[in-house]
Amino acid sequence: MEDNNNAIEVSHVTKTFKVYYDKGTELKEKILFWKRNKFENRVVLNDISFSVKKGEAIGLVGRNGCGKSTTLKMLTRIIYPNSGSINMNGRVSSLIELGAGFHPDMSGRENIYTNASIFGLTKKEIDARLDDIITFSELEEFIDNPVRTYSSGMYMRLAFSVAINVDADILLIDEILAVGDANFQAKCFNKLREIKNNGTTIVIVSHSLGQIEQICDRSIWIKNGQIAMEGKPKDVHLEYLNFMNQERIDQQEKERLKQQQNEMKAREDEEKRKKEEAEREKRNRRYGTGDAKFTDIKILDKDGQEQTTFRTGEKMILDLSYHVEKPVKDAVFGYGIFRSDSLWVYGTNTRIDRFDIFDIEKDGKYVVEMPNLSLIPGQYWIDVTIEFGDGNPVDYYKKALNFEVVSNTQDVGVARLDHDWKLEI
Amino acid sequence: MINQIKAIYEYREMIFSLVKKDLRGRYKGSILGFLWTFINPLLQLVVFTLVFSVIMRAGYEQYYLFLFVALVPWMFFATSVQDGSTSILREKDMVKKIFFPREVLPIATVTSGFVNMLLTFIVIFIVLIFSGRGINLIAVICLPVVMIVEYILCLGIALIVAALTVYLRDLQYILGILVMALQYLTPVMYGIDIVENSGAPSYCIQLFYLNPMTPVIEIYRDILYYKQVPQLNTLLIALGMGIVFVMIGELLFRKLQKGFAENF
Repeated sequence: MEDNNNAIEVSHVTKTFKVYYDKGTELKEKILFWKRNKFENRVVLNDISFSVKKGEAIGLVGRNGCGKSTTLKMLTRIIYPNSGSINMNGRVSSLIELGAGFHPDMSGRENIYTNASIFGLTKKEIDARLDDIITFSELEEFIDNPVRTYSSGMYMRLAFSVAINVDADILLIDEILAVGDANFQAKCFNKLREIKNNGTTIVIVSHSLGQIEQICDRSIWIKNGQIAMEGKPKDVHLEYLNFMNQERIDQQEKERLKQQQNEMKAREDEEKRKKEEAEREKRNRRYGTGDAKFTDIKILDKDGQEQTTFRTGEKMILDLSYHVEKPVKDAVFGYGIFRSDSLWVYGTNTRIDRFDIFDIEKDGKYVVEMPNLSLIPGQYWIDVTIEFGDGNPVDYYKKALNFEVVSNTQDVGVARLDHDWKLEI
Repeated sequence: MINQIKAIYEYREMIFSLVKKDLRGRYKGSILGFLWTFINPLLQLVVFTLVFSVIMRAGYEQYYLFLFVALVPWMFFATSVQDGSTSILREKDMVKKIFFPREVLPIATVTSGFVNMLLTFIVIFIVLIFSGRGINLIAVICLPVVMIVEYILCLGIALIVAALTVYLRDLQYILGILVMALQYLTPVMYGIDIVENSGAPSYCIQLFYLNPMTPVIEIYRDILYYKQVPQLNTLLIALGMGIVFVMIGELLFRKLQKGFAENF
């Protein structure tokens, strides 16, 4: 320990896993298919260092596979780093695997002894904690029944109660607060706070940022095996969420481009089928007289780029071109936005918006600008319409366009209404 | 090494509860339950008695007793080696997810076999009394000594093979054959006198004496079958080998245990 106030010191730790393309363990395979035994070293953690003070609670956040669980496993001493060192000061208990060594045929009480002994408690220590454990688990009536008669919730409650009563100096937790019903979860949470107040050092890995914010003093964001940011949970999480949303938008964009490519490829041999499909489509998703028809319809972002993912509050532009077969008198353009569960979020047309009556005689387009798309995150589709007179469809195109809305604010409902807070406390 | 022994001692309750779980869980679900611990060897003995007094007459008087008092400690040795070799693999879910000194697993396996042998000895004593052979109490006092020596020997071998089997799975099958072969290099089914008088080449007899289980089994038989106070000094080599095995096993564990969780 470089610093005696530290409970955990991780310095320059690197961990790589060998990933075999196709591992053969038998001699026969090793000789015949020696080429298959190629492997690559996947670097999970790349020279990371951090320390945790005594009594401090920290949260590890990061996307799936970023190495946070690996870090926790190394702190638990289940796996060991390839280089670098980890120093732990005090008794370690981990809430990674609950109910280790439970025997279904033994009673709850006997299993408490087995399970606690795996955490390194002696019989005397377990005796002293037995009442606390049973009380905490709320299983007084069932404690002498075999564990196989327990519901899964009861099972987890018992396991959690043992683990949390171990009285460790350092407590390592991996995604555990999904135990039991809401009441029991609240209880576990309070117990964790109590443990923290008693001076226990806590390390939590969780995807529930809210839980980390409630307990931890500090968050460490691990990205691609390195520490991307550490600091106050709120600050780190905001950055992290921003990053994740950006990732998501990029990913969507990638998928869209890929799809476009695929479509190009498939276009030729699908030409025929498409015609048939268009026929069917006409009947199902598109109907009307057909005197005018949408040809090229697009959703654009504020820069005029084609886009399918938007943040709440961003600008969205509908760019809708049409072809006129026969002139349409008294034409009405319209659109409607629907949430993926068919909720009609908004709809309007030129008639509703009090345009003067007009006719369309040649190809053209209309553009709808929505400067402030105030929808809450979710999947949406858009219907676009050309009608004439009082709602007679010329080209009614259902589900013509799809888009997704993302946001890093967790407000709920349908749309984000502009609002200000004034607190007089 | 002192630190590691301390760490294992801290986890003694885990060893106890693993042993308890194993002994109680072994016959779980059967009607006779724990009674099988006694019935099983008793029935085995009945079979021996029938076979060796009716079908095949051996050169020893009360051959079934001659065989039984040696076979029970031999079985302890054989199961320690074989179950010991898979003791880490069997609990891989635990090893992958929880920290504890990994030595606990082979220790618990060997201890559980040891306790099982002690329970079987109750049957042995009852049979010795009822068969009219009787017991020499002074000789029986030496019994714990030989038991402890055998325990240390089993523990050492179990530690070594447990750590190695994680990396080389074939070892568990190789051991099955080796243990079977070793039984014939140990005076279990026949006494050492028969081997010496059989005209076997001298290197063969030397193999018998190199085998640390030879003096162990001989002493069990001296105490229980011949009712003699045994010459315990023959155990010294077995004890020495046992201690060396334990130390090698511990060294192997220290080297190999870091990779256990990644090798399943």
